[in-house]
Amino acid sequence: MTQTETYQTPDGRTIGGAVMEMKNITLRFGGVVAIKDISFDIREGEIRAIIGPNGAGKSSMLNVINGFYHPQEGDVLFHGKKRGPMKPHQIAKQGIARTFQNIALFKGMSTLDNIMTGRLTHMKSGLASQMMWWGKAQREEVENREVVEKIIDFLEIQTIRKTPVGRLPYGLQKRVELGRALAAEPKLLLLDEPMAGMNVEEKEDMSRFILDVNDEFGTTIALIEHDMGVVMDIADRVVVMDYGKKIGDGTPSEVRQDQAVIDAYLGVAHD
Amino acid sequence: MTKKNAGPELNTVPKLLARNAAKYGDAAAYREKEYGIWQTWTWSQAADEINALALGFLDLGVKQGDHIAIVGRNRPYFYWSMVAAQSVGAVPVPLYKDAVAEEMAYVLDHCTARFVVAEDQEQVDKIIDVQDDLKALDGVIYLDPRGMRKYDRGALFEFSDIQQTGRDKRAELSPELNARLDAQDYNTTCVMLYTSGTTGRPKGVVLSNENIIETGRATAEFDNLSVNDSVLAYLPMAWVGDFIFSISQAYNAAFCVACPESGETMQHDLREVGPTYFFAPPAYFEGMLTSVQIRMEDASPLKRKLYKTFMANAADVGPKLMDGKSVGLGAHLKYQLGKLLVTGPLKNTLGLSRVRVGYTAGEAIGPELFDFYRSLGINLKQLYGQTEASVFITQQRDGEVRADTVGTPSPGVELRIDESGEVFYRSPGSFVEYYENPESTADTKDPEGWVATGDAGFIETASGQLRIIDRIKDVGKLNDGTMFAPKFVENKLKFYSNILEAVVFGNGKDNCVAFINIDLLAVGNWAERNNIAYSSYQELAGHPRVYEMIQENIANVNASIAEDEFLSGCQITRFLILHKQLDADDGEMTRTLKVRRKIIAEKFDDLIGALYSDATNIKTTTEVTYEDGRKGSISADLEIRDVKTFPRKQVAA
Amino acid sequence: MSANFYYGIEVFLNGLMAGVMYSLVALGFVLIFKASGIFNYAQGVMALFAALCLVGFQSGQIPFAHVINATFGTEIHHFGWHMPALLAIVCTLMMMILFAFLVEKFVLKHLVNQEPIILFMATIGLAYFMEGFGDLMWGSDIKKLDVGIPQGGNLWLEENTAFLGGDDFYGFYIDNLDIWATIFAAILVTALILFSQYTKTGRALRAVADDHQAALSVGISLRVIWVIVWSIAGFVALVAGIMWGSKSGVQFSLSLIALKALPVLMLGGFTSIPGAIIGGLIIGVGEKMFEFLIGAPFLGGATENWFAYMLALLFLVFRPQGLFGEKIIERV
Repeated sequence: MTQTETYQTPDGRTIGGAVMEMKNITLRFGGVVAIKDISFDIREGEIRAIIGPNGAGKSSMLNVINGFYHPQEGDVLFHGKKRGPMKPHQIAKQGIARTFQNIALFKGMSTLDNIMTGRLTHMKSGLASQMMWWGKAQREEVENREVVEKIIDFLEIQTIRKTPVGRLPYGLQKRVELGRALAAEPKLLLLDEPMAGMNVEEKEDMSRFILDVNDEFGTTIALIEHDMGVVMDIADRVVVMDYGKKIGDGTPSEVRQDQAVIDAYLGVAHD
Repeated sequence: MTKKNAGPELNTVPKLLARNAAKYGDAAAYREKEYGIWQTWTWSQAADEINALALGFLDLGVKQGDHIAIVGRNRPYFYWSMVAAQSVGAVPVPLYKDAVAEEMAYVLDHCTARFVVAEDQEQVDKIIDVQDDLKALDGVIYLDPRGMRKYDRGALFEFSDIQQTGRDKRAELSPELNARLDAQDYNTTCVMLYTSGTTGRPKGVVLSNENIIETGRATAEFDNLSVNDSVLAYLPMAWVGDFIFSISQAYNAAFCVACPESGETMQHDLREVGPTYFFAPPAYFEGMLTSVQIRMEDASPLKRKLYKTFMANAADVGPKLMDGKSVGLGAHLKYQLGKLLVTGPLKNTLGLSRVRVGYTAGEAIGPELFDFYRSLGINLKQLYGQTEASVFITQQRDGEVRADTVGTPSPGVELRIDESGEVFYRSPGSFVEYYENPESTADTKDPEGWVATGDAGFIETASGQLRIIDRIKDVGKLNDGTMFAPKFVENKLKFYSNILEAVVFGNGKDNCVAFINIDLLAVGNWAERNNIAYSSYQELAGHPRVYEMIQENIANVNASIAEDEFLSGCQITRFLILHKQLDADDGEMTRTLKVRRKIIAEKFDDLIGALYSDATNIKTTTEVTYEDGRKGSISADLEIRDVKTFPRKQVAA
Repeated sequence: MSANFYYGIEVFLNGLMAGVMYSLVALGFVLIFKASGIFNYAQGVMALFAALCLVGFQSGQIPFAHVINATFGTEIHHFGWHMPALLAIVCTLMMMILFAFLVEKFVLKHLVNQEPIILFMATIGLAYFMEGFGDLMWGSDIKKLDVGIPQGGNLWLEENTAFLGGDDFYGFYIDNLDIWATIFAAILVTALILFSQYTKTGRALRAVADDHQAALSVGISLRVIWVIVWSIAGFVALVAGIMWGSKSGVQFSLSLIALKALPVLMLGGFTSIPGAIIGGLIIGVGEKMFEFLIGAPFLGGATENWFAYMLALLFLVFRPQGLFGEKIIERV
């Protein structure tokens, strides 16, 4: 399944080799099997979607990639190297950033501060230097603030720079969360239902931002969605899950014609 | 008008720029907030940027007399584009950035624009949509490349690339640029501005260097504007006012033009910039007052008490002090204390603490509204103007400020009122012509240079100030022969923070009726405090308690109208609250947010009929246009209510 | 103006100074509570322990001398040197940081995701352990702490304010120690606020206090943060220990200053640094003024023991989240 050759998408982007490979992943909670023997890869520069009905195991999959869950069987390969058991914060330092379905922002902190926390993995100054606020720490604050301001400009959230995010409406909070993930300049960006609970207009906005992120920064994106329509418009390749199993994998048009996928979405009874 | 008119030495905007770069090279010319930080360009830096851009234009093949359209929000780059266009002998044509593609297509086609300088993907997309109809268009220059990576590069150029090319070829192209700069004089067209117009297609108003430079110089002197002043450029670049304030006066007086970070952050940026010279339409001042009132209603009782006490004092003392009159020591002390506790912080919040000269115009301003800002100690004055006059027709002098007049003629302006009551003017700023439209030019401007304003008004004999009643075509008569001036009534209605817009009808009828648009912000806030649930504008607008509130507001207005000896017939007898907000996208308002009376009357014909019947409600369906251009319709069952009227004051015999 | 009026002012000023001391202790509670949701019962004992270590280092005491003597029949007590105050403070700070490491390693790490009440219990255990450990290490006798902060009334202030009142008034009497405590507290609080607002670690601290899961996802290690927080709390405890220890000697009762911090927290809220400071000042001024105006003349005195709690109770009834406690704003 591993592909190393690069290719061009119809709209002129270059898709590289695999960034992340999941090999025969099985995840159990007690006796319940959440993910059963799933393999797929995520290639550099692509928008990879994982879709499936509710309860298909999509979020579990994302949590495996991001290190919140450790699969009982199978291997996770990041840049071709097998990943041992790691803590989520270590994985974050490797360059994997994510957003959450239920928005996990720091509600009492401002938009600016929230996005600044996304820069933590890029800030190296020691505690002593920070306490004195001289030299490296100060330079680092300024440099990283510049990066964050570019993101604020990119996401068009200048008006809410100083607003505590707890006061923002839902759609804007989602945008701030995306900004925080972007601030990490991730090699792989994981989006957990980025459009959940949004109205049509907000969904369009979010789709545009996701496409722009991919286009402008060349960020590899893996996203989960249960709304097929939106995903089919923006994803390069799609993995379809149902009841913890992979039932389809391919380009949106391939997946759309797949009988197993159609059955799962039309709710054909499972025997 | 073909006579050679060289004018004074500084007879073009680029020459003023050169003067400023030489004389005030290190003074700030432009500021813009980007990436959260205020960036500054001095006059000499601005001159360099403009020079590079102009050379880039030459390299692109811009010819003398070409039209270059500019579309985007207020950013230094676009002001430079205008001056760079002038430098190479082309005519800048700023467009409204929120115009839909067809509106833009009309203007681009009408002026046969060869190039467009556009802000971003959104604007470029609109032009691409209509480019097949634009035969003259040779290229689009964009500022922000985001999202356009995959676009066909053929006729698309990036702003910074154009400037780079200009810099690279400076030695080669400078002689040509200098020749073109020298070829211009007072007769050269300085800018072309399309008036949105309350009726018909937009017209291109051609303004010469003489118009722009004479007006800018005289009015900058009038208010002592200097290199130490600053202004926040936030009103549409396509509007004549912005051109006059941000180019004409700014280049004449060499003051600094600051651009907000984005449209939404304007209020915040205003506070940070603290401009000394400020213009806003009455709607803006009204909006700010509404938000202050809302905040005071939510404030603690102590704060409310302080606010009430000191504002009452300030209302009495503030205007007197500003006009240099004396007040008692006690009142003065109290005013100073209020300045410390209430008015000072309030001014700062509004971003107006440094304003030395403030103007409002465009619509009549409610006296209460006007007094509110004057009592804060803001030197808010009124002016009266229009695109065809390069803005200034009349303006108020310091110390002669009143709410119900618009001042005495601006420097160099002659004024005349004809038999029908229409106001005419003749001035150095009055326009050359409507572009490719000799009939309209002849209709508006007579051979002697007198320009018709289309407004009815009179000059007060005592003060010499002009008082505008209404649009001449809107002033009518009720059946009993008394004067009908809808705007006069609407303005009184709109002073109530609950009422955003009002449209009054009554010409040729026995009495007056009104459509109301509630202010969603103010009424919504009120609803929240009173536990009234609503899910949409329509639902809130139809709520019986909202109706009651509006009914009371209108009755109060009726009481005040009854006092006016000429217009007491204009009391509102019946009204309804519209089920939709009047919107420029639906053609009900102009882009400058003035109501289009005739279109509204046609569109809501059924509602007017019902208002003049005995009906207590009416079912109706209306077509609406969404932001993305799709159309839909909304239907509603609207309540109609009667309002109390008052006995008319008899005209003294 | 009568002399009584000026005594009132003096009482007020002394109340403010006492309030600063309360604030210092309350601050330690707030820091840990904000970052980890733990009500750290051991904060008072940490102050005691810090003071004990400081005196021990300064006077060259041999740690665990009792135990060693009892086991080996030796008679050792002192190293025989006297450590400069500043060096002793640095050493004590090291101790507190080491202590933070150990707490994280042996206690907190094993209690991740436990109920707050369990964590609270753990800190009670910790408190008693440390108390016993401190006794064992440095002995249980009352010690005098002197790091060179001037003590006694400030003569300058007294002489220069005497003119205010009549013959009965001799100027304001304010202890130098209190003045210095106020200055140190002000510096400490300003530094803490600046640190948490403008450094990456400060931002990480606030992030952890706000949402653990989100903090993990941006690459913050909770364990590192906890060590930092407990170290800072240890530092605050050290400052409180120095001030209170200098004032009333280093002894077991020092740990009871934690009880004074409780009403301050009820007043100021558990999550607000400004709350801890203002709360401390209100309690300090409140109890001194109440004693002066009502307690001593009418109630036979000694109202200072209970007044703070009564005030805090009243507050709880009317404003449960405290003076500055966060009202959580959430929108769906």
